[in-house]
Amino acid sequence: MATRNLILLLAGVVFALFAPQLLGAFWASLIMQILIFGVLALSVDLLLGHTGMFSLCHAAFFAVAAYTTAILQVRYGQPTILAAPAGILVGCLLSLIYGLAVRTSGVYFILVTIAMGYILWGVAVRWGSFTGGDNGIGNVPFPAIGPLKVTSLTAYYYILWILVGLGVLGYRLLIQSPFGLTLRGIRDSESRMRALGYNVGRHKYAAFVLSGCIASFAGVLYIYFNRFISPATAAFPISVEAALMVIIGGVGTILGPFIGSAVFLIMRNYVSAYMDQWMTITGLVFIATVLWAPNGFLGLLKKYRTRPQDPKHRAEAGKTG
Amino acid sequence: MNWAIQTLNGISMGALLFLLSSGFTLTFGLARVVNMAHGALYLLGGYLGLSMVLATKNFWLALLAGGFGIVILYYFLDRFLIRRTGENHLSQVLLTVGIAFVIADIALLIWGGDARRLPAPAFTQGPIQLAAGLYYPRYRFLLILFGVIVGVFLWIIYKKTQIGALVRAGVDDREMVSAMGININRLFALVFALAAFLAGLSGVAGGAFLTLYPGAEWEILVLALVVVIVGGLGSLGGAMVGSLVVGLIDAYGRWLLPEFSYFVIFGPMAVLLLFRPTGLFGRKN
Repeated sequence: MATRNLILLLAGVVFALFAPQLLGAFWASLIMQILIFGVLALSVDLLLGHTGMFSLCHAAFFAVAAYTTAILQVRYGQPTILAAPAGILVGCLLSLIYGLAVRTSGVYFILVTIAMGYILWGVAVRWGSFTGGDNGIGNVPFPAIGPLKVTSLTAYYYILWILVGLGVLGYRLLIQSPFGLTLRGIRDSESRMRALGYNVGRHKYAAFVLSGCIASFAGVLYIYFNRFISPATAAFPISVEAALMVIIGGVGTILGPFIGSAVFLIMRNYVSAYMDQWMTITGLVFIATVLWAPNGFLGLLKKYRTRPQDPKHRAEAGKTG
Repeated sequence: MNWAIQTLNGISMGALLFLLSSGFTLTFGLARVVNMAHGALYLLGGYLGLSMVLATKNFWLALLAGGFGIVILYYFLDRFLIRRTGENHLSQVLLTVGIAFVIADIALLIWGGDARRLPAPAFTQGPIQLAAGLYYPRYRFLLILFGVIVGVFLWIIYKKTQIGALVRAGVDDREMVSAMGININRLFALVFALAAFLAGLSGVAGGAFLTLYPGAEWEILVLALVVVIVGGLGSLGGAMVGSLVVGLIDAYGRWLLPEFSYFVIFGPMAVLLLFRPTGLFGRKN
């Protein structure tokens, strides 16, 4: 088993290394999008899969980080070493404020996060003198730290793999820590965790803020890839799509959000190449996922490949409902 | 004079928001359905009304076309899609967002991407003199009256009739109502139809002064969401108070702080939630 995983990992690394040369610029760019939105979906999953909270405002953190970095770089000429951390910082600060939403629960939490997501979009559209309004902010340079400069999208492709890889390792540590276990305890039974003496509210707040910080990280990765940002990035559809990616891929896993991001983005790219109605197709994917694959792709696979002799497996497949 | 105008703007926006959010809040209160497609139904209702008014030059037919068109559509949406999600709010939200995407995209295909203003009838056009030197658009003034009439009408049904009593009982304890031998599904269908009718109607009413354009469905929905969050989910009185509050704050915000008007709506909502996480009139479920 271990050797098989190692071979798979090696094959993946080799594929990732040579993808820009083998598959061309289009696929390299698509892989970069998959990685970036995968991180965004991962941040949503920290709440959805591990804490049991369904947040629909993650585009706000994503966009506010991207906006901050873009404005600092383009308008104030600040270097990457300052602009990128500042972007993440502002995103985290926003999540400290938005985190107050954890005082609500259930439907209220969903509705409040939607409203909060919209506020940021509203500011991005209306505060034209600072955010560029509907025109957005373009011409963001490639990242450069001192003498180390990224000069092409291909170079950023490799940087992105490294950054996302490090991010995923950090995320893995987080969800395997006692803190991550506590979150899953809260997901399964809030009252029981409270009875055991855990401060449930504070843990939910911490999870929300951490999740916002991860989304901000994705936002900074995005701005150096896209090098343009407009209010559309802060809009509600991005938040729902991130949640859909998590569900397509399967909640509560690390690979799931990336699989979901890949399935969703590849599909959209193909559909939009052939027809204009990709929003209809997106909507139909939402509907189909909810009706026929509520546990996502991994869930579908599990359903057809469940090994009956493995009770642990079966329990897991049944739990993610 | 400016304050008076802005206050009237706020109240007329509140009237429109009430038409939209009363249906949303009752649907949730009774059937526990979160319908994120409510904004898309509003937009589609407006477009249906637009086509009707262009074809027949009759605004009243447009109101009916918008209202009943959405009732028919919502019947099928509920029957074949929304009902299948049960009480799983996560699924409901994703499903209805998907429905909203599809509706908005089809509307874009049929009615195009430009902002379209629904022509209001002649008798509602021009200004009306409310006080010495205070002139106000007649249409928006009539909208306030219309909102008040619908509000009173709903309130009487809700508080004074047997159907209203059943709906209130259903909001409190649905199982108990069915155990008393009431056909709760028929009650649901009635409330759904009313909510859908009001959504389509408000699309026609709103299309005449806010215009109809792609994206309007989410802008109006988020205002309706704030209304129900402030007022409390499932409460008709909450929807009334919430609509007025949000309409006024929106009008003053657009006037005094145009760049941060969304923020101005959000501020009071956040403060309120700190003290009352279920809104002004909401109850824990």
